[in-house]
Amino acid sequence: MENSTQESHLRSDNSISYESPYPLYAMALSSMPSRMNLNHQRIALGSFIEDYPNRVDIISFDPETLSIKTHPTLSFDHPYPPTKLMFRPNGKSPSSSSSDLLASSGDYLRLWEVRETSIEPFSVFNNSKTSEFCAPLTSFDWNDVEPKRIGTSSIDTTCTIWDIEKGVVETQLIAHDKEVYDIAWGEAKVFASVSADGSVRIFDLRDKEHSTIIYESPQPDTPLLRLAWNKQDLRYMATILMDSNKVVILDIRSPTMPVAELERHRASVNAIAWAPLSCKHICSAGDDTQALIWELPTVAGPNGIDPLSMYSAGSEINQLQWSAAQPDWIAIAFSNKMQLLKV
Amino acid sequence: MATGVQNQERVPVNLKKQLVLAVRNIQWSYAIFWSISAGQPGVLEWGDGYYNGDIKTRKTVQAVELNADQLGLQRSEQLRELYESLSAADSSPQARRPSAALSPEDLTDTEWYYLVCMSFVFNIGQGLPGRTLSSGQPIWLCNAHYAESKVFSRSLLAKSASIQTVVCFPFSRGVIELGVTDLVSEELSLIQFIKTSFSDGPQTFVSNKSIPVAGRTGYKKDFSCPSLLGCEQQEMASPNDSSDGYEPNQPAEDPFMIEGITDGVSQVQSWQFMDEEFSNCVDHSLNSSDCISQTVVDHGNAVPLSQGEKDNDNELTSLNLPSDDPHYQTVLSALLNSSHQLILGPHFRNSNQESSFVSWKKNGLVKSQKARDETPQKLLKKILFEVPHMHDKGLLESPEDNGARDAAWRLEADEIYGNHVLSERRRREKINELFMILKSLVPSNSKADKVSILDDTIEYLQDLGRRVEDLESCRELTDLEVRTKRKRQDHVERTSDNYDDNKITIRKKSSPNKRKACDIDEVEQEIDYVAFKDDSTNNVTVTVSLNKKDFLIEFSCPWREGILLEIVDALSILNLDCQSVQSSTTEGILSLTIKSKYKGSTVAKPGTVKQALQRVAWKC
Repeated sequence: MENSTQESHLRSDNSISYESPYPLYAMALSSMPSRMNLNHQRIALGSFIEDYPNRVDIISFDPETLSIKTHPTLSFDHPYPPTKLMFRPNGKSPSSSSSDLLASSGDYLRLWEVRETSIEPFSVFNNSKTSEFCAPLTSFDWNDVEPKRIGTSSIDTTCTIWDIEKGVVETQLIAHDKEVYDIAWGEAKVFASVSADGSVRIFDLRDKEHSTIIYESPQPDTPLLRLAWNKQDLRYMATILMDSNKVVILDIRSPTMPVAELERHRASVNAIAWAPLSCKHICSAGDDTQALIWELPTVAGPNGIDPLSMYSAGSEINQLQWSAAQPDWIAIAFSNKMQLLKV
Repeated sequence: MATGVQNQERVPVNLKKQLVLAVRNIQWSYAIFWSISAGQPGVLEWGDGYYNGDIKTRKTVQAVELNADQLGLQRSEQLRELYESLSAADSSPQARRPSAALSPEDLTDTEWYYLVCMSFVFNIGQGLPGRTLSSGQPIWLCNAHYAESKVFSRSLLAKSASIQTVVCFPFSRGVIELGVTDLVSEELSLIQFIKTSFSDGPQTFVSNKSIPVAGRTGYKKDFSCPSLLGCEQQEMASPNDSSDGYEPNQPAEDPFMIEGITDGVSQVQSWQFMDEEFSNCVDHSLNSSDCISQTVVDHGNAVPLSQGEKDNDNELTSLNLPSDDPHYQTVLSALLNSSHQLILGPHFRNSNQESSFVSWKKNGLVKSQKARDETPQKLLKKILFEVPHMHDKGLLESPEDNGARDAAWRLEADEIYGNHVLSERRRREKINELFMILKSLVPSNSKADKVSILDDTIEYLQDLGRRVEDLESCRELTDLEVRTKRKRQDHVERTSDNYDDNKITIRKKSSPNKRKACDIDEVEQEIDYVAFKDDSTNNVTVTVSLNKKDFLIEFSCPWREGILLEIVDALSILNLDCQSVQSSTTEGILSLTIKSKYKGSTVAKPGTVKQALQRVAWKC
């Protein structure tokens, strides 16, 4: 594959694009195939319009024919831009329900039932009556081992764990000293979160009184913006700092010292995603319009780690998702476009 | 992995037996035969092997009693079976893993190392077996677990398995590798012995010198005396003499040494610890390179080549793992024990579709990036910083929050990193402790979060304050009461029946948590306070009783013009809404019964009402 990089973003036969009428941020890939065709991948796209009316659209992608199909009926309104979208993960046991569930975060955590031709609101999780802490959410994560559990992170420094089957709060923890920006589940009862206070903390629901800081940004109070936990190898986590071109890889067994810092982006990094099936691969995308795939070696060379492969998009890449259902495909979002890249 | 199976068939059956015998004779941990792959020329892959190291004692009773030899063979076969079942599961993750006699949990670290070796593949010139094949000379690696990965790619694996010595030598159509968990210094005669044993059958090995089992502390190597090397040299040069009856041994420099094979084929395998308690001492230092000892006997010169001792202070190995943090230990063990998956490799299946990605080049970007005048991570920052506040327009925002955000963006770095973290953490813990203490002092509901604790404390304090005030004023009245005598008997009788004359009863039952709606007519009177003042000289008596928000005032005083209006005024100033007034005037004394209700949110104290009325009465 010795094609020059100039052509990489023009190769339309290997990357599939979808242009949306509005700028995109939130994106989710379904782990459940649509009932019509088992290979179809459903993608939810959240708009980013700095105003009240925003939309979430669902499109589907067929990897066989490399085509994207839009579904005008599978669309709903959302107040202000959704900060994150996520489909229900498959978890250990395949879900028996016939329709897919999509969760969105913004002012509250909302669940939507995605049927074949329509989307119905399923529930809204609002704990303002029972708690003083009910602030808008920056992110959330759906526990794939225990799919009834969703953890949300909020600007009021708390993380709330919901039992979505019962519709109640399992627990609410004051996780950090400042706004919490992202949360990720490791296991059924363990999650980690990152915050504006610059720390990555691990919490265990069995022992809510204690949390462990496993990393703090070197310049104190540099916010950590995103967190991703390697689901194939729970020892490793990745995080990105504000205004930094580095992807910091952490080993939970050795707190405070990152295992690796991937520093090959030419501008700050916006999104990271671990490979769903391999435990050593991670993809990152940033303002330098590049998406890089890295392979983490067991021992790194003296000059740092180089990426395995790269892709250049048309503009800054804001979002990245690695499909769990189709692990050969990575979805990226930049300005108004969503592109599917073959790994 | 199908080629693996085919390859095994090409390996002569006898070789397996020889491997077994060889490794048993010298009592090493394992023997592997790397054979040149049929499918991919120039590549070494697993041919056959025998595991002779430690195994976990099996709790299950063997159906058939096997002797030690057969047990060993069976074990090796089981390990192979397990490997095959795991790799089959890996290539088709949807399929259920075919059952094997062993499961990953049954293996020791060394067995695990042996099993993972099965997945390795080496190009000519790459890795220990590869270099052995290309050079045609044996390689003896001491301190294998500390070796650099360039030299020995499985060094980290070896470390966990405690494999300290690895020896490779070319043989037949491949390379034989032997490994042991002890540190055995180089002895070329050993290699010679093995080779002869392949042809001659079982022998016992008598070492020329004692095999020192060096500890891990010292990095001293035993450089073999050059003379020994010299005399061995002859035999090294012609390793083929001893083997007859096998396939014709081609010299090591055979057509398989193809240069310039791309590196893409090699797979660095990844794996996981399967132990129940993982070692905390895993070395994560990225550049660790303790000294290795490697002597490669060259045809040309007899000078042993050895890497110099690299002084390594081992600073990198000391981890900051808070071993005094038992909570985190439990979290870690829960996390790492729960993951049982074995991933055998980062297979990127090159399907029919070409990848969208290109290989990364260092100066890859031909077109340079436009100067980024805008904020970095603009959209991400908006999503995290601005969008949440769009929902709560200004409700949550406060000057401090804004200031904090700006400070974050300005990246102030004037605090000492380590001290700050620790002292912050201590402060937080102290705060939590104090909250717990507060909770224990305050009667409250079961909620244990900080907000509820503070709420309950506030309520409790207010409650106590009320009680104290009432008790104090009640004490005053008792003193006052003793000195005065009652005037109006019937008046007093109209008051509550629960107490005697001249007695002031304060019954206060505060149950702030029981907020059930109860009828006023019910017996339960939440707060009942009676103020009794009798002033005989002025014929003024005031009785105020409070039932929740309803005041019952019985008042008598000398009548004067306009006094009724004044009374009602005084009451309305106190936010009391007079609902019914019964009044009568006899002998110049006005007696009133007023029922009034609160129209505000805070209830005034009965004492306050009493005082106000008294003021009116005394104004004459």
